[in-house]
Order: sequence, then C-alpha cells, then structure tokens
Amino acid sequence: MQELTFEKINTTVLDTLSRPGKRYWTVIALLFCGVVLGAACWAYQIFEGVGVAGMNTPVHWGTYLINFVFWVGIAHSGTLISAILFLMRAGWRNPIARAAETMTVFAVCIAGLFPFIHLGRVWLVFYMLPVPNQRTLWPNFQSPLIFDVVAISTYLTVSSLFWYTGLVPDFAIIRDRSVGVRKKIFRVLSLGWSGKSGQWLHYTRGYLLFAGLATPLVISVHSVVSWDFALGVTPGWHTTIFAPYFVAGAIHSGLAMVLTLCIPLRKIFGYERIITVHVLESIAKTIVFTGLIVGFAYGTEVFIAWYSQNIIEMESFRWRAFGAYAPEYWIMVICNSVIPLLFLFRKFRTKIVWLFVISVFVNIGMWFERFVIIVGSVAHDFLPNAWGHYRPTLVEGGIMLGAFCLFFFLFLLFVKHLPSVSMTEMKEHIQHTE
Amino acid sequence: MDRRTFLKTASLSSIAFAWGCGTDSDRKIFSRVTASDDSVTGEALWYAATCMECPAGCGIIAKNREGRVVKLEGNPRHPVNRGKLCIRGQAALQGVYDPDRLTAPLLKTNGTFKEISFTKALEILKQKAQTPSERGRDRIRMLTGLTGKPLSDMFTETLAGFGSDRAAVFEPFSYDSLKAAHQAVFKKRMLPSFHMENADFLLNFGADFLETWLSPVEYAGKFKSMHAVREGGKGLYIHAGPFMSLTAANADKFLPVRAGTEYIAAWGILHRLLDNKSYNHLPESFARDLKTAASGYTPSFVEENTGLSQSAQEMLTEKLLAARNPLVLGSASTTPDDTAFLLDTAAALINWILDENLSLYDFENRHAVENTMSTGETAQFFRKAGTDPLDLFLIYNSNPLYSIAYIDPVERLFQNDAVFKVCFSSFMDETARNSDLVFPVRLPLETWDLYESKTGISSILQPAMGKLTHAPAIGDVFLELQGEDSRFDSYRDYLLEHLYAGAGIKSQKDLLGAIQRGGVFEQDGIEAKKTEQVKPVFDKKLSAVLKKAAKACKPRESKGIRFLAVPSLRHFDGRGANKSWLSEIPDPVTSIAWESVLMVHPATLEEYGFEPGDLLEIDAGGRAIRAPVYDYPGVVQDLIVMQTGLGHTDYGRYAREFGENPLTLLKAGAGKGEFTSYLISPDRVRKTGKAGKQPGTDGSRSQHNRKIALSMKGDRAQDHAHAEKPGLDMERFPLTLPYEAGYDEKRDVYPPHEHDGYRWGMIVDLDRCVGCSACAAACYAENNLAVVGKEQIIKGREMAWLRIERYRDRNFDERLIFLPMMCQHCENAPCESVCPVYAPHHSKEGLNNQIYNRCIGTRFCAQNCPYKVRRFNWFEGEWPKPLNLQLNPDVTARTKGVMEKCSFCIQRIKQAHNRAKNENRQIRDGEISPACVQTCPTGALVFGNFLDPKSAVSRLARSSRAYQVLGYLNTKPAVIYLKKVVHDV
Repeated sequence: MQELTFEKINTTVLDTLSRPGKRYWTVIALLFCGVVLGAACWAYQIFEGVGVAGMNTPVHWGTYLINFVFWVGIAHSGTLISAILFLMRAGWRNPIARAAETMTVFAVCIAGLFPFIHLGRVWLVFYMLPVPNQRTLWPNFQSPLIFDVVAISTYLTVSSLFWYTGLVPDFAIIRDRSVGVRKKIFRVLSLGWSGKSGQWLHYTRGYLLFAGLATPLVISVHSVVSWDFALGVTPGWHTTIFAPYFVAGAIHSGLAMVLTLCIPLRKIFGYERIITVHVLESIAKTIVFTGLIVGFAYGTEVFIAWYSQNIIEMESFRWRAFGAYAPEYWIMVICNSVIPLLFLFRKFRTKIVWLFVISVFVNIGMWFERFVIIVGSVAHDFLPNAWGHYRPTLVEGGIMLGAFCLFFFLFLLFVKHLPSVSMTEMKEHIQHTE
Repeated sequence: MDRRTFLKTASLSSIAFAWGCGTDSDRKIFSRVTASDDSVTGEALWYAATCMECPAGCGIIAKNREGRVVKLEGNPRHPVNRGKLCIRGQAALQGVYDPDRLTAPLLKTNGTFKEISFTKALEILKQKAQTPSERGRDRIRMLTGLTGKPLSDMFTETLAGFGSDRAAVFEPFSYDSLKAAHQAVFKKRMLPSFHMENADFLLNFGADFLETWLSPVEYAGKFKSMHAVREGGKGLYIHAGPFMSLTAANADKFLPVRAGTEYIAAWGILHRLLDNKSYNHLPESFARDLKTAASGYTPSFVEENTGLSQSAQEMLTEKLLAARNPLVLGSASTTPDDTAFLLDTAAALINWILDENLSLYDFENRHAVENTMSTGETAQFFRKAGTDPLDLFLIYNSNPLYSIAYIDPVERLFQNDAVFKVCFSSFMDETARNSDLVFPVRLPLETWDLYESKTGISSILQPAMGKLTHAPAIGDVFLELQGEDSRFDSYRDYLLEHLYAGAGIKSQKDLLGAIQRGGVFEQDGIEAKKTEQVKPVFDKKLSAVLKKAAKACKPRESKGIRFLAVPSLRHFDGRGANKSWLSEIPDPVTSIAWESVLMVHPATLEEYGFEPGDLLEIDAGGRAIRAPVYDYPGVVQDLIVMQTGLGHTDYGRYAREFGENPLTLLKAGAGKGEFTSYLISPDRVRKTGKAGKQPGTDGSRSQHNRKIALSMKGDRAQDHAHAEKPGLDMERFPLTLPYEAGYDEKRDVYPPHEHDGYRWGMIVDLDRCVGCSACAAACYAENNLAVVGKEQIIKGREMAWLRIERYRDRNFDERLIFLPMMCQHCENAPCESVCPVYAPHHSKEGLNNQIYNRCIGTRFCAQNCPYKVRRFNWFEGEWPKPLNLQLNPDVTARTKGVMEKCSFCIQRIKQAHNRAKNENRQIRDGEISPACVQTCPTGALVFGNFLDPKSAVSRLARSSRAYQVLGYLNTKPAVIYLKKVVHDV
C-alpha cells in the first residue's frame, strides 16, 4: 500500500470539495423535497391538532419521542469517538472522528426538533425556559423534561463548539488553497489561523479540554434522556438500570450509524486509504461490545421483573415478548443483540457489504428498542381497563421521513462543502505512528 | 400621488378599517345584556320541571344561566326520583340544543320537503282538519306518546270538535304482559309500583329495573336501600334469565335460563312452593286449581327445558320461603313472546302466595305507562286506520316507523297518499320523513304542562328557558285548531284551570308552591295510605289462565340460534338517539359506544365459527340487519342479544347510520300473539366476511389479579379471618389517607402537603354502584366535555373524565363488577412532578388542579398517571350550533393540545366557598356535590372533607371495606373505594 503523506491527505480530502455534479444536486433536491414534506406534515399537525398522529389514551407518546430518543442516541457516538477515544488515544478514531462529530451535531439538532413536534401547543414552548416572566413562574425543575432541556442544549452547545474547534486548522488549509469568495468565507471561518506553534499549543490544549468536557456529557445526556422514563411510575420504565442501559444503547446505535455513513462516504470519495478496513473493524468490535451490554440489559429487565414477583411488572414483560408488540420486541432483540454477534467472525468484520448490512440492522433494531420501551410500556400498564394500542399514522411517517431527509440533506451538504476527514488529525496520526 | 389616488386610497383604507371593527356575535359572553327581573347575571336560576325521556316522569330542576338551560338535575323533592337522574335524564338537555332540530315546519310537495312558516302550517292543518270533519265521523286519527291528562284532554276535545275519536296513546315498551297478568289476577289492567326497598329477597326473571323497566331511577334507589350493606347485612338478589343485563349483573347470583322459558322456571318455583307448604290464605278450590296447573312443572321438567338445575330451583324455593319479605319480578321491558304473560302471572301469584297482604305492592301509586295501548291494540289501531276511511293522521311524540315498523299496517298507512299525515316532531325522524307535514313543536323543557308520573303524583312542566325556535307548544296548536270559540288564550290557561279544578290547588299561592316544588305530590313521598284493598280475584278468567298455564307445560322447541332484542340503558326505545352523550358514553356492560353489537356466548361463537368483531347479517321476516359480534359469557347459549335504540335511518347526525335497529327483525314474530315477540328465530345468520374494530373503551375485561375493583363475600367474619398483617406489596399495603395522617416517614421521602382547612376527597361505594353511567353523563354536561365520535373512540380518544370500568369480579369469575374511575386527586400525584411547566398543581385543599392555560401538551402527566384518567385534547372540541349554548359558563371549554381531567367540579367547590364566606362559616359537610355525586341514583358516591373527622367521607374511610385502587403505589389517592359485598349463593 502506498504510504500516506501529508500532501496525499490534503489532496484526497480537498478533492472532495470540488464542484459537485448533477447527480449530487439531484439527490440534494430530492432530500429537500422530503424535508418540505416533513415540514408540511408538521404544519398540518399544528393546524389540526396532535390527533392527526396515532397517539391516544394510554399511549400518549409515539413516534415523535421514539425518534427523539433515537436521534439523541445517534448523536452519542460522535462525541464518544471524538472525545473519549481521543482521550484514550485510540488512533483508529481519527479518520472517522470528523464525520462522527458532524453526525452528532446534526443528529442533536434533529433530535431537538422532535420534542417540539410532539407538543400539543408548540407555540407555548417557551414556558419551559427559565426566563423571568410576568407570571413569576419558573419551570418545574423536578420534571425530567426540564432536565432534558438543559442536557440537550448543553450537549448541542458543547458538541458544536468541539466540532468547530477541530475544524479551524482544516479551514485554514482550505483558505490557503482557494481563491475568490471561497477564500473570503474560509478566512472568516478559520479565525485567523496561521499555524504558528503558539496557536498549536493553545489549540491542542483547548481541544483536550473540550474532549475532557464532552466526555461526561456523553454519559450524562443519555442518562438524562433515560430518566424521562425511569422517573415515571410506569412498569417497564421505572427501573434503575435505565441510565447505563440507555447510554450503551445510544453508543450501539451511534456506532452503527457511523458505519452506515462512513462506508458509502469512503466508497464515493475514495477514502479507502484513510478510512481503512482496520478502522471499520475496530468500530465493529466496539459494536459487539455494546451489543452485548444491550443484550445483558434486556435480560436483566426480564430477570428483575420476575425476581420482583410484582404481578404488574411480570405481566408487562410477558406482554412485551408475547403481546401485541411481540414482533417489534423480537426485531429489537435480534437486530441489537443477535445479529451484531456475527462481528465475532472476522469474515463479517472485514467484508464491507456485511459491515454495512449489519449496521443498518442495528439502526433498525435500535429504533424498535425505543418503540418497545416507549409504546410497549404504557400500552399495557397498571389498569387493564385502560389498555390500548397505538399505530403510527401517515403524518407521523411523513415527519419521520422528513427528519431522515433533513439529516442526510445536511450531511450531504457537509461532505461537499467542509472537509469530511480531519486533515490535521490524520497528519498528527501518521506523524505519531512513524 | 395625485389628489384622486389619495382620496381613493384614503377612502378604501378607512372602509377596510371600519370593516374590521364589526363585532362577532359569537364572542358575547352573556346572552342577555340586561338581566330579567328574576335573574342575576352570573347566578343560576333553577326551574322545576319533569323529564319526558321515558314514561317514568322523574322530577328535574333545570339550571338556567343567563337565559339558557345548562344542566339538568333531579328534583330532590320529587317522590319518584328524589333528586337523582339517569343517563337519559342527564342527556335530555341536549334535545333542546340539538343541531338537527327543525326550526320551521316542512311541507312535502312532490316528494320533497319545503320550509313554510308556522302560520302557513297552521292554516294547512286547520284546513286539512276541517274538510274531513265535514265528510263524516272518525276521519281524523291521532297517535300520541304518553302525555299528561290536560294535554290528552285537549287532544280529545279538539278531535271531538272534528267529530273524531280520542288520540291513541302508544309507547313502544308498554309492559303488556305485566298489565295482562295483573288483569288476570287483580282484575285491573294496571302497573302498581313495588316497595322493593322493603324486600329482603328479590327474585327476578328478567325485569331490567336498573335500566329501563317502569321507572329505573326510582327502582335503582329502592333496590339499593334493600341491597346495599347496612347494619344487619344486606338483602339478597337473584336473577334468573337468558341474558345478564346491567340489572342482572348487579344480582348476587345470575342463573342462566334459556330464552323464552323463564315462565317454566317461574311455574317450577310455584310448583315447589305449593309442594313444600300449604298456604292457609289460599281459597281451597283455587289452591287445588293452582296445584293442578303447576303440577306439570316438575323439577326435572324445568331443568330439562330451562337449563335451571334442580339444586338451583331448590335453593330459590328455600330462599323464598325463608325470606321475610320476598319479591318476585317477571319479564323485562321487552318480552320474549306470549309466555311472558304466564311468567308475570306466576310472579304475581308467587308474591301473593308468600304474602297474603301483598305489602310490597303499591296499588295507589301506579306507573303512568299503564295508560298506553297494548301492542295488540296498537296493531288494531293501525289496521283500522288502513281500512276505515281516513283523511288526516296526526302523530305526536312518537316514532312508529322506527319502533313498530314491524307491524305491517304501520308502513302501509305511511305509504297511503290519500291520508295527509302530520307529524308534530322537532326532528326529521323516520316518521317525520314519511309524513306530509312536519310541524315542530316546543320540547318539554320549553313548555307548560302536567304529567302524572304515577297515579298520585302530578308533576309540572314549565319552560326552563326562552324559546330557541319559533315553534309553538303542541297545546297551543290544538287550541288554535279549536278555533275562535275557545275560552282560553293559551294552553297555559287551560292547564291552570285543570290544576285548579282537579289537582288540589286552591289558590295562587298553592299554584306558585306547586310550580316551585315541581308538582303536586305529598311532601312525604309516595307512601300513600292504602284506601282500596286490591286482592286477587278467582273467577273463570283466572281459571282459564291456569288452564293455559297447564297447557303451556310442554317442551319449547328451540332449534338453532335465536335472537332477542333487549332495551338499551342508553337509548331506551330510540327516542333520544340523537343526543350525542348517550352514544358517546359506552354501554356499561359491553363498554362499547356508538354501536349496537350482537352479544353472543363464546361457546356459541365457536359452534357457529364466528369470531368476535365479525360483522354478521341476520335475516328475519324479510328484513336483514348487519352488526358486529361481541363475545359475552352473560348470554345463554344459542342466543343473540341486541340492544334497541340505535340504527336510525333518519333523525340526525348522531343517530343516523350508527348501529342497527333490531326491532326491524321483529316482523317474524309480529301478529302471532297478543304480545310483541322480542325473541325470534332468525331465518338466517351468516358471516358477511367483514370484521372491524369496535368502538370499545375497555382494554381488558380481567383485572389480572390486581387490586382494582374488589369484592368480598357476604359473611363478614370470613373476611376478618383473612385480614393480613399490612405489608408493602399490592395486596397488603395499608390504606394511606391523602393528608398528613397518611404520612409515614418510613415510606415517604417528601413531607406531606399542608392543607388549608379542607382536604377534599371522595368515597366510592362499589356495593352501591350499579354501573348505570348517570354520573358519566352528568360529568359531560357539567364540565363541557367534548364528544369525539365513533372513529376517535376506536382510536382510544374518548374524553370522559369519569368512566365506568367494567371487570370480572376477582372472587366470582362469572360476575361483573363496576368501578367508577375518575381523577384520584392523589396526595403524591405522579402527574404533578413530571410536568415541566407546573400545569398540574396541588392546591391548598388537596385538589390536583389542571391549569389549562399553563399546559403545553407534553402529555407526560398522562403517561405517568397509573389510573389513566387524564384526557388530552387531540383536536379542537366541536359543538355544532346551537349545542354550544349548552356549555356551562362556569367551566372553560378546552382548546386543542391541552390535557384535562376530573376537577372534583371545582366550580361547585368555589361556589360553596363564596357562600360560606358570605355567611362567615365553614363549608358544611354535604354542601358540595360534584355533578356525579349529585346524580348517582344509588348514592354510591360521597364527597367531602377528610380533615373533618365527623364528615361522611372520614366516617366511611374508616370502614373495614375501605381500600385504594393500586394503593401500593403510595400515591395516596383521595378517592377511597369501599368493597362490594356479594352473597355467595
């Protein structure tokens, strides 16, 4: 294999920023249509009422919050890869760190949209903000939803800043090699980066600091999200394992999403030598690990339900596996805990197709995990008379489609306009390995 | 800009500006700017009146706010219902504001209806009445629902003026067999009322006295004074019949009896009674005849033909003999066929054999419905109307094309173009649609009238609000028909004269008192002295009946599946089907709203290969209906049971196309006997291949062994033996009172709430609750609950703040138990802690307030509520005009996107606070009645202050039956339930 040089890295990465072709714009246009469709569905829902979605009594939370948790989960591994693995000096993270971070920022943005979509009266959402007001009312800090507001906004702020900080030296490289308007834009974006050793000194310290700051957030954000459920009384929600269970699940889904994104990226942009099979294999190994944690959590839930001998808990988990949502439950178990075990075999870890297919399965499985937890618990809780079923409607489908389109729309814009691999870190990496 | 453009722009913009200043009349808060003399803006006026939703004639008081009636409540002074109302009584209010109510007369010309003015309509009517009277006698006929005496006198006088006979009085449920049985035994075609409250054992062969039978509110109250737990135990009630109606579900024991063979069971009991004991008060010859008649009804014969086991027969006989005051009731409002007559005769005879004095019969206060025609007479009336020369046919307060369309001549009459048919109806129902002139008249809540609910009770109707339409009162229409020579200016004058003449009113003061009280009735109620001793009379006719009974003692052939139409608690005979609350509130037995289902035993379903939810088609007598199947083990095998009242082809938006009308199938049995056969053998029952989700509101019928709706067996000692040491699990968790007393530092993290003088709470006595759903209807009326309709209920989006949960009893699997579930106003409310914006809020008086303005609709509170009593406004509520005028001005109508739930009727609590403050005192115990508590016919709900140790709620909370639903969650609900007590027989 040809040796990677600094110049090679620069050209490979900067080549991706060349003027995109018709195909690219067609895809962008299609995705934009999807976004508009989603927005239209939301507008319709605001106008008509949340009833256009499929929720009811007892299932007051549906796909909106499923998607919220799903996207927050996706948002996880970005920071995990860029911060925790950075602190742990796991070299294989470097080629994918930028893509993963970007994924994080966009996923948090999209996740943040869903609680708005979910609200009955979204136009009054500012009631949740602790702003001084005439009503002299503060939000209820006892409510996990307020924890959420704080946690998600903190996470979004830190991960965006972290992402941007990492981009600054790369912006400077682009600035140096471009002309015209583009040069002007990147001059502003690169914040006067000149590559002096003093700047590098501050930069590396700052980056380390951010990594340190972001690390607890990786744990806290999804723990907080899990408390939305664990602080409730509902059987199936009210358990102490929820925080680690959710964090592991989030990393599981996030890593899978990284694979789903990086494999086509690598193919299209010819990143084979930067994002090597070794990198993908490392992700796959981590997925096995998180998959086992998640599987352990599934088992623990069932065990504790039985061990408690609480008939309501027991019925709740019996129903999960064999009730109306049994297909969803088994999709969840198989996709999240069984299929990733294939990565134990080297053949599956190193074949790009398998990596991609399995990562998609994990994504699907993780979406259904949230479905099972959110819908399956309340649909069958304390009072049998109030039991009910929930099926999403077309409007919810439209909004979900819109959200996915928005994510890929943003991501595609990113890959053609900003460096999707961190040139700085790659150079640092080969420097260190030499 | 030149001068012209400037002027143009300026004038256009000022016009545009002025345009926007127009007022929107809908936004007026008060309907009256200047209050009338007797009203104060913001304060309610109450008018006493009478409910006309069924012939029972309960007294009501109508709450008028700023000129509109907004709520009906039972008249506490009225001897029939004593302040209580049933579900239909509560919903009667919606009739006035029905969006499909006709506002002008409609004349049919060339097959289509055209609106005309009332003057024109009256002219046509006069002219149409004049011509036939010139041609000869009896060329005008009139059919009317049951009315008071003054109105029927008015009809008679007017019709006599045109040379025609009196109006025929018709009610779809006319209790023919009961009347005929009393005719046979007591020689008078009458419907005495029963002192059920004095009975200690009640044996019922079908009478649905908690739903529609004679006077349901009255009997619900009387039944519970006999059957509720009190000092010295509770009475025993056993129901033997083909179908576990709501009434039967409230029995201690339900004994299935094959449909149409109830009479065999009754005669079998009679047989055993005569065998077991000799009765001295029976005349010898009669005793002999009776014994002969009953001789064939041997225990084995009865067992074979009815399915009632010999041991059950023996048990019933023993209980009857052992009881001090046994009472036997006969058939339901809908009779199987002619055999119902034998059943009711047997019931009357058993009652008399066991009690010489018939002390539980009240022959003085007889039910008004005894004055109606029998089905035979009705058929005869229509037959004669078809054959005799007839020019004009008048219909008032009756919908024969819906309720007795199975009688052939009815349809023929309406097809006869030579007869001019006038329907005095405010709705375009089936009969109105087929009439030539539809003449809307005022509804009972807008009219002066009198109604004799019972023979001793004159109940007054008065307009409780101003007119919504220009329709005249029916009495005034007839007065107008009488022409110039009438002595009266209006029907009201006519009525007053009647009152002065007959009803014991002597002065203006008496009159005023009667109007204020709601009628002329003895202050102390129905317990009138017995002046006339009614006794069975033995004559040839009675011996003929006995012979008939002996002859009927033969096996009843029952091949294949049969079909039984039963009266509906909610829709009765269908007259109120367009009142949306009645359809929105689910039937308590099936928990199904907006739909009439076929109730079939699961074993029968399996036998015929049907699945629950399958749409079946039933053909009988050339008619077919299609309805979904509901599996219900409370029906005997090989029987399909369906409730009446739905399936209108016309009438209005809430009635049309919902459910099916089982009465159309009765053609098969019509005309065969003296009485309507509500039990028929359908020609064919087949699957249509379609199936669908039913608008049911229940998730599961089983309690899954959870501590929800509890019962205990009759002997209390056994219960004490089972009393366990308190623990922390579901069954043993102690009762935790929802205030400081319930605080336990070992269990509670947070300190208790502080309360400011009051801690409101409720006791729900499951032993008294019969599941009648009147509370739910009262809640809809009081709290402006939105009606969401069938589709949304299928999606699980009903808005009921209070629902009747129906479960299988954990102690007796075949029994049903009903549990009213509303916001529990928990002390540790799970909803309060999770709301990010403090929309649920714990008040100083322990109420869990929902602040609609704060709510942003995260729905976390509802997710976290273990009782699932919170309701979310998925859409904007709709009140098609003028239904919006019914909205209670004291309660906000919620907007889309907010959560709502039971508030314990906080508006009533606030009013009590104002009163108490003005009078400088504490609120008294019992002063506040939330709407549900106020209307409960059996007194199952009690509201009050837990901080007052002497209050009724505090006293009842100390009962050994007290428990909290899912109390182990330590939410400390302020609704404390009392276990149902069931005799284990």
